[in-house]
Amino acid sequence: VTYSEVHDELRSVASDLLSKGDTAVDWPLLTQAGWIGLEVPEESGGAGVTFAEVAIILEQMGRAATRSAYLGGAVLGVGTLTALQPSASRDGLLADVASGAVRTAVVLDGLRLAGNRLSGHATFVPDADGADRLLAIADDSDGIPVVVAADNVTVTPQPVLDETRSLAEVTAEDVAVKEVWRFDGAAADQVRRLHDRAAVAVACDSLGLAEAMLTATVDYAKVRQQFGRPIGSFQAVKHACADMLVQVSVARQLVNAAVEALADGGDARVAAAMAKSYACAAAVDVVGKAMQLHGGIGYTWESGIHVYLKRALLNRSLFGSPAEHRRQLAKRYSSRETPFRTRYAEGTH
Amino acid sequence: VKDDLDDFRATVRQWCETHVPADWRRSQTGVGDDEFVRFQKAWFAELHSAGYAVPHWPSEWDGGMSVAEQIVLYQELAAHDAPRLVLAFVGIHHAASTLLAAGTDEQRRRHLPAILDGEIWVQGFSEPEAGSDLASLRTSARRDGDSYLVNGQKLWASGGMQADWCLLLARTDPEAPKRKGISYFLLDMTTPGIDVRPIRNAVGESHFCEIFLNDVAIPADNLVGAENEGWQVAQATLGAERGLTMLELVERLGNAGFRWLVRACRPIDDPVVADRLAQFEIEISGLRGLCRELVENTEAGLAGPADASIVKLYYSELLQRMTDFGAEMSGLAAHTELAKPLSSGWESGSWVLDFIGSWEWTIPGGSSEIQRTIIGERGLGLPREPSAV
Repeated sequence: VTYSEVHDELRSVASDLLSKGDTAVDWPLLTQAGWIGLEVPEESGGAGVTFAEVAIILEQMGRAATRSAYLGGAVLGVGTLTALQPSASRDGLLADVASGAVRTAVVLDGLRLAGNRLSGHATFVPDADGADRLLAIADDSDGIPVVVAADNVTVTPQPVLDETRSLAEVTAEDVAVKEVWRFDGAAADQVRRLHDRAAVAVACDSLGLAEAMLTATVDYAKVRQQFGRPIGSFQAVKHACADMLVQVSVARQLVNAAVEALADGGDARVAAAMAKSYACAAAVDVVGKAMQLHGGIGYTWESGIHVYLKRALLNRSLFGSPAEHRRQLAKRYSSRETPFRTRYAEGTH
Repeated sequence: VKDDLDDFRATVRQWCETHVPADWRRSQTGVGDDEFVRFQKAWFAELHSAGYAVPHWPSEWDGGMSVAEQIVLYQELAAHDAPRLVLAFVGIHHAASTLLAAGTDEQRRRHLPAILDGEIWVQGFSEPEAGSDLASLRTSARRDGDSYLVNGQKLWASGGMQADWCLLLARTDPEAPKRKGISYFLLDMTTPGIDVRPIRNAVGESHFCEIFLNDVAIPADNLVGAENEGWQVAQATLGAERGLTMLELVERLGNAGFRWLVRACRPIDDPVVADRLAQFEIEISGLRGLCRELVENTEAGLAGPADASIVKLYYSELLQRMTDFGAEMSGLAAHTELAKPLSSGWESGSWVLDFIGSWEWTIPGGSSEIQRTIIGERGLGLPREPSAV
């Protein structure tokens, strides 16, 4: 059995499971499927695989516009815990996450640590509402990022137009912190990688939802008749569909490159910024074209295309807008320390 | 593997440093045809002696370089601003891939070594009444003993004035449906009855030609594939070589093209400029991935029916947008560059001329409109348009 066959199998299982009925998929089901513990080491009860496999689940969840706590609880929760130095409390928590006993969420920024007391205000934290354990990243007194267990904080749901995502405000008012975990290796790099992971996770989701909308649109254009023939035979419609496929194809290249960079454990900054900015912007275009090419039906609540448009729009804003990621990329063009010329010549592929 | 590639990169880099002709851009600007041909042939011979002229050919014909190595080679050639093989292009790509896929052993033995010795090829496909609708071509080839007698007119034949041989599509069965009556020939350009006239293009160059064919005799041995199956031969080889030609062009876009664009953009920290540049860098990166995947999938027989069209469409339109932005950024000064070096392609660095020249990529080889139709029909399975035939 090859690597790619394993991926195909995972993709097909995920697609089947997620396409059944309601778009809400509850935590026990995700645990049962083994998706929560994909990146958890085998000795802690997980599958011991990489972000490459998580990315497959994310893409399929985008396709199905799945409502689940996977982003906060698995992608960020497990991603954070596995980036920490091993300890009894960390290992125990990781095992509890893999078994489904504990659901986590992660506050990437917004909270501050003074001594052992946590305060501050974080917004749009994925899946914080209803989480059993909140993990917050904050700088210690030496300015080194650590992860703390943010217990006794206030979590207030932030309803958004996209009903498939759960976001919340997290407020900490000078609360005592019982657990402090240190990152394994260079802490700043680990934090950077968690941000990259969050951005790429959303890019995977946008790729999946764009693919779903392309398929739905092409299927519709093949059967919807006007002027006595399928609308997909008209150039105006056909060429718009072709452009959707081109955008999805480019997005897939960039997302795959970023997923590979993250799974390899190297510096994924450039690849992540490229994937997030392109895939999340392209997905909005693609869903917009899907709504347009479905005509009046596409604009109805019933058609459900609005669900995808809202999710694509939210994804675009989550974890850095396309413009923000492009601004980060552009800083390299005028950088004196690392000549852009040499770095670019060897490419990202 | 990574170490091997690094070693290979170091070898190519060193070779480029000592072999890329210095100052060729200045010395090739405004030269006549003879000097252009001499320079191109000399550079081809130089590349060939290093094993870099036809890396994409099979190993028994002096090629056999892996896709990863080819990418490194093209990156280094672009980074060292080496001239492109514009004159040999049709020979090393279209002619070679056609001969390798559909030619006889004798045809391969006759032409592949000759191409390595500098034989120049031209493509005789389009006609005045057969542009996007190529299959409606009218040039006729009538069997006459051991030969075919060819009459008609070809258009947009790039390099026609210099070509030794021509890849010719002609109609051998006027009664058959239009795609079923076409044959594929190798035509010796010294045959009596051929008249070639240059057409000046929008940037002022004249590499496009008209070819008039008046009772031109082609020996039947120069038929490629079976009679009346020329359309299938052309279709099969056009897609296969698309990725390979793109591999180099995409690296040019990523290296010379983008680096020059960064240099042309001042002030570099202007947020609007920076945003546009980053968007281009992202798109080039995606295109690189697409192109590499196309080449690898083509080799493995896994390429989708519209994959080559996606790469061609995206490349040519990205090139057009990038050169447009370069022209905008480089301001009035760019308008004082009245000529570009003949041996450059679009990547002359003269942004205004390069932008105007970008239509040479969105129109020929199947225009962007044709590519979108192919992507829609073959890639997505959308219904065909009602056809006249």
